[in-house]
Amino acid sequence: MAADPAPLVALRGVWKVFEGVPVLRGIDFDIRPGEVHALLGGNGSGKSTIVKILSGAYQPTAGRIEIGARTTVLPRPSDAHQQGIYMVPQEPHIFPNLTVLENLTMGLAGGVANAAQARRIADEIGLSVDFAMPGGGLSIANQQLVEIIRGLLRKARVLILDEPTSSLTRREVDALAIEMRTLTARGIGILFISHRLDEVLDLADRVSVLRDGHFVLSAPAAELTPEKLVEAMLPADFLPATESTVAPQGRNPVLEVSGLTGRAFRDVSFNVLPGEVVGIAGVVGSGRTELAQAIYGIDTDVTGEVRINGKAAPHRAPQSCQAMGLSYVPEDRHAHGIFLTLPSARTISAGLLALGRRKFLAPRMEGELASRFVDRLRIKLSSTAQVARILSGGNQQKIVLAKMLAPEPRIVIMDEPTRGIDARARQDVYRIIRELTAQGVGVVVISSEMGEVAEISDRVLVMLRGRMMALPTGRRSVEEISAATFASRRGAAA
Amino acid sequence: MMRILKSREFLVLVLLGVMILGVATVNRAVLYPITLINILNSSIFLILLAIGQMFVILTRGIDVSVGAIAGIAAVIFGFALNGGVPLPLAMLAAMLTGVLAGAVNAVGVVLVGIPPIIMTLSTLGIFRGLMRVLTGGSWIEQVPQSIKAMSVTRVLSVPILVWATAAVIIVAAILLARIKAARSFYAVGDNREGAYLLGLNVAGTEFAAYALSGLFAGMAAIVFVAQIGFVPMQTGQGQELKAIAAVVLGGVSLMGGTGNIWSAVIGALFLTTVDSMMIFLHVPGSWNNAVAGAVLLAVVVADYLIRRTVRNRQLVLRAAELRRADADAALGREVAP
Amino acid sequence: MTLPGWLRSWEAMLAVALVVEIAVLGMISPAFLNIENLLFSTSDFAHVIIAAVGLTLVVITGGIDISGVSVMGLASIVMGLAFVAGAPIGLAVAVALATGLGAGAFNGVVVARTDVNPLVITLATLFLFSGIATGLPTLLDLLGFKAYGAGGFEAYQYEGITGLPKSFTWLGTGSIGWVPLPLIVTVMVALAGGALLSRTRFGRFLYFIGVSADVARFTGVPVRRTLILVYAFNGLCAAIAGLVLTAYFTSARSDLGSEALLNIITAVVLGGTSIQGGSGSVLGTFLAGLVLGYLRQGLLALGITSDVVPVIIGALLVGSVALKIGSAALAMNRANRNALETGRRAVEETVARP
Repeated sequence: MAADPAPLVALRGVWKVFEGVPVLRGIDFDIRPGEVHALLGGNGSGKSTIVKILSGAYQPTAGRIEIGARTTVLPRPSDAHQQGIYMVPQEPHIFPNLTVLENLTMGLAGGVANAAQARRIADEIGLSVDFAMPGGGLSIANQQLVEIIRGLLRKARVLILDEPTSSLTRREVDALAIEMRTLTARGIGILFISHRLDEVLDLADRVSVLRDGHFVLSAPAAELTPEKLVEAMLPADFLPATESTVAPQGRNPVLEVSGLTGRAFRDVSFNVLPGEVVGIAGVVGSGRTELAQAIYGIDTDVTGEVRINGKAAPHRAPQSCQAMGLSYVPEDRHAHGIFLTLPSARTISAGLLALGRRKFLAPRMEGELASRFVDRLRIKLSSTAQVARILSGGNQQKIVLAKMLAPEPRIVIMDEPTRGIDARARQDVYRIIRELTAQGVGVVVISSEMGEVAEISDRVLVMLRGRMMALPTGRRSVEEISAATFASRRGAAA
Repeated sequence: MMRILKSREFLVLVLLGVMILGVATVNRAVLYPITLINILNSSIFLILLAIGQMFVILTRGIDVSVGAIAGIAAVIFGFALNGGVPLPLAMLAAMLTGVLAGAVNAVGVVLVGIPPIIMTLSTLGIFRGLMRVLTGGSWIEQVPQSIKAMSVTRVLSVPILVWATAAVIIVAAILLARIKAARSFYAVGDNREGAYLLGLNVAGTEFAAYALSGLFAGMAAIVFVAQIGFVPMQTGQGQELKAIAAVVLGGVSLMGGTGNIWSAVIGALFLTTVDSMMIFLHVPGSWNNAVAGAVLLAVVVADYLIRRTVRNRQLVLRAAELRRADADAALGREVAP
Repeated sequence: MTLPGWLRSWEAMLAVALVVEIAVLGMISPAFLNIENLLFSTSDFAHVIIAAVGLTLVVITGGIDISGVSVMGLASIVMGLAFVAGAPIGLAVAVALATGLGAGAFNGVVVARTDVNPLVITLATLFLFSGIATGLPTLLDLLGFKAYGAGGFEAYQYEGITGLPKSFTWLGTGSIGWVPLPLIVTVMVALAGGALLSRTRFGRFLYFIGVSADVARFTGVPVRRTLILVYAFNGLCAAIAGLVLTAYFTSARSDLGSEALLNIITAVVLGGTSIQGGSGSVLGTFLAGLVLGYLRQGLLALGITSDVVPVIIGALLVGSVALKIGSAALAMNRANRNALETGRRAVEETVARP
């Protein structure tokens, strides 16, 4: 590749603010012809916002977009298409009730010529399905090909692939890698987003790491190792692992899971002792969230045994789990954790309210509970009546924690507890976990950030494609966990 | 072929056939051609309203004002005829009234962002009120009786109004299936964000849906006036809910994206037939609504149960697919390229 | 910041609107300002407010129930039939209330157990309940029940059932002091609904479900049970509204209240309850119901034909929702601009620091 060819598209000093919360803080970013530029970052770091700005779905609050060195605006996705940018979303936008051909050509001007060209490109890329079948019948890999062909039909010179591999089998990923090379050979620039570090290093020419809304690393892939990437993704004030100050108390586990099998995981068994932090490392799609939700009784279509506080819990529902002393802090804060449009105090007291026997509200008790947790978790609020929606991610997460901790559980499962929150809030969450264990509470932390798992866990379990593996007991290094979690072909080959 | 057999339209059509045959065992008169023609004739008003409604529901909206739009279009139609306007122009005026009324809904829903149920409920009141204001609350009676010719003149013993409606249905069905732009109704309802990201004109599509709903309500008004020969204040009253029921019954999901003209036609036909069958069974007409409601409820609940089963099966299949790929990899059968 | 304060004062705005409305109408037509007239004219629209109170709770969960107007007629005819079939009036009323409760619970079960849009479900039951209401008299004849009259029960289908005892019609026509009974019933229902909503755990669950049914489920809220109960409560309110109207007209009819749907929903939405769920209050609905009711009375008193009334009510509904959407958008815009400035300043300070 020639040294620094002119970028196809560039963002200059771009800010984006949502509901009063800044998500991007003045970033610079570009994609050059013929390269695969990988964008890495934890959940909520601002990756998807960049993608949406580039594809015309969002407008930057400040800053500018340059295409071929000319400043431009992309008020709508169709404008991005005209400028040669096409996004292949993580969940392909398939119209289940329209035919494959209609799915391919929807939104294009012109008629028969499109169909012919769609067939030609489909042959080149390797999509061989009946064009008259409904789009709902396509496999996920083929849905992604449909999206790529849509982009090529629009003569895209920049393709954005948003986590294209998260729900593909390994064979499908290999096929995708070949397709990506075919495209870059034609001078197309690809923005590639993935959680899997080994894939990123395999497929990308250049890697940029986003944290808390700005870039902390941007370098050619050849100069990088998985360790360097993990390091860059860690919070700025990350402390290397220290020995646990509190030894696990007692020998009777607070949570026993044996032979649990659901759609996304198989034969999972593990125990959690009081005062112990068990880290479950796993990437998106490894079955970790499905496992947690099965334990908490959200998904009831599972087999296997769960014991909470020594008591068997065969028919679980969130209410009964909480009554037995198990709380779950969900991965998706907005969809499952917090009542966004209600005053913060309402979310904080919700868990206790749902669990308690009290039929009538006790406003004073509720207020006291809220202020107690605001102090204990250091939630920054102007008042407990403040609506949760306008708070920062970190404060929202603490409110969810308060909600799930108010019933004083004996075991807490936290699913990505530091997703999309800033460094200080992250340290607060770790402190809360330490306080809980000091009180003898068992904590399970599910995370895709290896550094986090390494830092806070007494014991590490790894979820990989629906199976659970235990690492040798004791604290583990980031490298060990990464190797097991990503099960990299790099590692296997070595 | 399998798709047609599995479709909801077909299910309802079969139910319709079964119902007619079932009633025929009690009363043969049901099967007389004239009976069936009469059923057709009395269903075209609801069919037209339902087709308009279908466009809106396809895009995940709802329009509870169609009955009131039909009412006000009927008033304008009556005024035009009484004012000596030639019939074709008067019909045009009625349809234009419908389109304008639909556009008012569209402005509120699409441009301002008012929830469709609120917007159209408001215009339901507004149009109905305006209708009374325009007429002073009295029926328009001295409509030229030449208009009734459309409903009494028969070709092959079927009224030409029915033929005309059939033509409208077929043309609309062909346009909806063949014109590319028409497919965006499905795309917007099927996956609104996807449609937007693919560069479709989502706002324009929604606007068109409400305008079309008004247009068909305007046509329905013409049918109504032609059939009864005057414009009563009750024109279209309560028909908005019947139109929604017909469309949903015929298989158009309120979640958007599914259904077609035939859903509306068959759904409306079914509801009208239920009313007629009651007469043949000598069941008092007072039970019509109960039967219609029970059928609608049964069909949507059955539809939910079927969808749930299909979705579960798909999830299981995908999990099995992933597991197989995994097992292959574990056995080392996967050969690196 | 501006949004919650503004929302909190929605009821205050309605109260002011109500006072201004009565004052203006009174200035134009002094007869209107008579206290007795103001109190007794509520009997014309008490049923709307009673039904709207129940609907408010349903809409707060993000649902809707349009079948309430059919339940009004159903409760009315059930009460009348039970009475002419020989049941004591107290029992007849109890049966009617139970019918309303059961009809509402039926809606609730289907809403809670399927993912079918509540609008579709209650559209179906709107037909179903009104069909049952109109068909019930003939069914009773068929089943061989005996009525006192010669024509059997069927005669009641069109004529309505009259001759209800004074002890019952007093509910619609009587008064305690200067306060008419329908108004007393309305206030009692509103107080009960308001207390349920703002004082009990059940009420809080309704808001939770309206903001996000998923978050509620993850929190441990019994979502299905709560939904069934709230639709049942709405059915009960509709039945009460139907009985009050029956007493007011001194005649039990199956089609009572069928015209009230637009007014009921308007009272709920104008009262500040979001059709998307998650916010709203019974006080708002009550005040909006009064504003609407007096508006109608006042316009009629001014000699404006009743034809114009729905036009004005419809315009009011659209206007109030558009106003809310507009001011919310403005507030969010302002919040985002402020956050950008704060963020920029923070970055500049970091850069400026050595």
